[in-house]
Amino acid sequence: MRRVFSGLAALSISLLTAVNFSEAADGKLLLYTSQPNTDAQQTIDAFKAKFPNVEVSFVRDGTPRIMAKLRTEIQAGAPQPDLLLIADSVTMEGLKAEGRLLRHTPDTTAYPLGTHDPEGYWFATKLITTGIVYHTSLATKPTSWLDLTKPESKGKVVMPSPLNSGAALIHAATLTGNLGGGWDYYKALKANDALAGGANGDVLRQVAGGEKLYGMIVDFMPIREKAKGAPVDFVFPKEGVSAVSEPIAVLSTAKNPVAAKAFVDFLLSREGQDLALKQGYVAAHPDVALPPGYPARETIKLMPFDAKKTLADERSIRKNFSDIFVQ
Amino acid sequence: MKLALSGKATDGHSLIEQDGRWTYGLAVLLIAGLAFLPAMALLQTAVLIEGRFDPGAALQEMSRPIALRAAWNSLETGILSAFLALWIGGFAALLIGASDMRGKRVFAFLFTMSMLIAPQVAALAFKTLAGPASPFLKMLGMAPAPGSSNPLLGRWGIVFVLGLHHAPLVMLTLLAGLKTIPHSLVESAELDGAGPITLSWRVVLPCLRGHVVAATLLAFVAALGNFGIPALLGLPVNFVTLPTLIYRQLTSFGPDILGDVAALSVMIAMIAGVAIVLSAFILTGSAPPLERDQAIRSYWRLGSLRWPVESLAVLLVLAALILPLASLLTAALVPAYGMALTFKTLTFRAFHEILFVQAATLEAFRNSFLLAASAAVLLAILAVPVSYALERLAKKTRGVLAFLIELPFALPGIVVAIAAILLFLKPLPGLGFSLYGTPWIILFAYLSRFLALAIKPVSATLAQLDRSVEEAASLCGAGPLRRFISIILPMVLPATITGGVFVFLSAFNELTVSALLWGAGTRTLGVILYGLEEAGLTTEASALGVLTILIVASLMLLIDRLGAYLPPGVIPWRMDEFR
Repeated sequence: MRRVFSGLAALSISLLTAVNFSEAADGKLLLYTSQPNTDAQQTIDAFKAKFPNVEVSFVRDGTPRIMAKLRTEIQAGAPQPDLLLIADSVTMEGLKAEGRLLRHTPDTTAYPLGTHDPEGYWFATKLITTGIVYHTSLATKPTSWLDLTKPESKGKVVMPSPLNSGAALIHAATLTGNLGGGWDYYKALKANDALAGGANGDVLRQVAGGEKLYGMIVDFMPIREKAKGAPVDFVFPKEGVSAVSEPIAVLSTAKNPVAAKAFVDFLLSREGQDLALKQGYVAAHPDVALPPGYPARETIKLMPFDAKKTLADERSIRKNFSDIFVQ
Repeated sequence: MKLALSGKATDGHSLIEQDGRWTYGLAVLLIAGLAFLPAMALLQTAVLIEGRFDPGAALQEMSRPIALRAAWNSLETGILSAFLALWIGGFAALLIGASDMRGKRVFAFLFTMSMLIAPQVAALAFKTLAGPASPFLKMLGMAPAPGSSNPLLGRWGIVFVLGLHHAPLVMLTLLAGLKTIPHSLVESAELDGAGPITLSWRVVLPCLRGHVVAATLLAFVAALGNFGIPALLGLPVNFVTLPTLIYRQLTSFGPDILGDVAALSVMIAMIAGVAIVLSAFILTGSAPPLERDQAIRSYWRLGSLRWPVESLAVLLVLAALILPLASLLTAALVPAYGMALTFKTLTFRAFHEILFVQAATLEAFRNSFLLAASAAVLLAILAVPVSYALERLAKKTRGVLAFLIELPFALPGIVVAIAAILLFLKPLPGLGFSLYGTPWIILFAYLSRFLALAIKPVSATLAQLDRSVEEAASLCGAGPLRRFISIILPMVLPATITGGVFVFLSAFNELTVSALLWGAGTRTLGVILYGLEEAGLTTEASALGVLTILIVASLMLLIDRLGAYLPPGVIPWRMDEFR
């Protein structure tokens, strides 16, 4: 009798949660993310305004390093986060194959097919492309990826390393697959004394500071800094750009799956997507406008990219890259 | 800060030898847990394969091109910066120990402070000081044109900042040596008509040979183990040293390569070990302690050189402390890095962001404070019985134990961090959970690393305690507890507090250990600052750096006040002997 009763109670609770998350979602929530600290905090604050009973904290680092931390915690037998919001879906596919993600079925009818994982394990939140940032003191602005290997840019190029950045890994996979000659392009960059040390934040700082004049970088950083008054500008090179979708996923080991799912739903909601716009990102939602400083959505030319192959080659991409660039 | 443990030998037996036996047990237990166990965990992972000694895999890892490159970079920056530190620190020691410069006390305080600022904060300050982006240079209209690189990034910047950062260490070691030279030596040379230059070069320097070598080795070991400076100034341009290579490997590739980084840790520990043993050997071999004679007093009347020499001293403090701090403050007050500071651009947004918006920063203040305070209080309490036991042990046993205590402090911090991961990553047997990601693993590493700091001042004080006082009390019927409360405790209390404050200062500023051991809820100030800088948020990182410096400066002032109650030499920058 008691079992039937508790079964009924559980059923009614789950029905209630399905109807209104804000009443059930409470407790603590831990997010591991590769978003810059300021953006992550804004996102969390917006979520908390809607779900005041949820206490959200976050850890930020580059995607490969967030993953290394997570893997260490898994070995310790205690993976900490409830949620992952990282640069690329390739990493998510890897985790999904290992059974580390929790399935979730939010309302995604507003999104075109192929935006999210069709099986419901991860969901794209934005469109973040990697193009070229340059210092505004330059007389001629770059227009092509190949401009970075020309003599006039020798010693003046900086780029993120796939050891530190998830977007940089996808970018390397995309460029080696599209420019022809595989890794030759990166070897030419090295021969041109291009620097690949840190992550996108380093690139921004070095170009904004004028220590380097060109950089490969994720779009939102320089577009936002330009608006603040920093001497930088961003171009979408004519060959096209690489892109990541900054997906979010709930971990199968999440301690608070109810609140975690509410967080996913919030990010995918129109409100969450409008926040991405406000922060200066291209939102994944097709109806959300683009922030000032971007060309129209349909004019951004994305280079094709093989996700399956990248997943299989992840290690060798990083190895090739560090073989070429480490001093 | 890395001064070798010293203890005066007071061998011999007495009435009270029987009491306090439990302190021996405590000392041995503590040293086994905090020093011996981590060392064994490291060696086991690196060179034992299925229980047999097999260094093959470790040697292979150590001989990889990238490892050799990092080792070479470590050696090069270590050696060059040690020589730079020797020249700068030597000059400072000469000014304080030999000259009649005015304002010695302030000079020593400020110069030592440049060492007590966290290396990552110092590196950030210098990084923002140079290059075309420098908000400070831009404010002065002196910034180089865009396209020129920041001269402080890479090898030479690291050598320069390490050298300046460790110069106070050399100064303190040399001053300790100066105190052992009898003034009569100087007087007789003066009678023979020797001027200050001949005196310094022909009389003082030969007496200090051992200290000069030891000080240089200490600066080398400190540079070798430094993480904050090569991380901020080297990694952005792909210049790796052994500690930063270990960090980058582990944080980019995860736990699968723990075996590899254990091998690299053994490699750096061996390099450091050779230098440590060498310097300890040289220090014990040289300069017998002064007996009845008066210690050296200043013999160099500056006279007509007063202005140039004192200006040089001011310049040194400017370069080592004031300029980088001004730059850091400027970088914290601009809206975006790369902009000039003017009355129009000035904003406290970065301070507002880290103090009132970013929840993680306040949490980090709390974490660093709690971890550093717990380590300080625990170690201060433990330091008394352990020092008491050490003081009474036979010379040889004491030597071995003192060496083990010194080991985790002298070795690079990254080695301690790797050892802690190896010990505690796997769930603890019997408990079923892992310490990794909890505050306990960081606290363990702090206890292990800073035990030597807490013990040093207490040991120095206990060594001065005449055993007969305790014996007399014993004859009057005072039991061990009574003797402890009424004789030992009042004597060692100031030293205990000083040791505790030094532990607090070091742990509060620390990055090397927590960079690998933090968990979501246990990020320290160092971790947050480095994370902000890596995320490209230089203004926010600078604001946080400014706040931590304010805390360090206030704590230093606090210990300075305590100085009146301590034996000379416990507070490094109080140069009472050299007035």
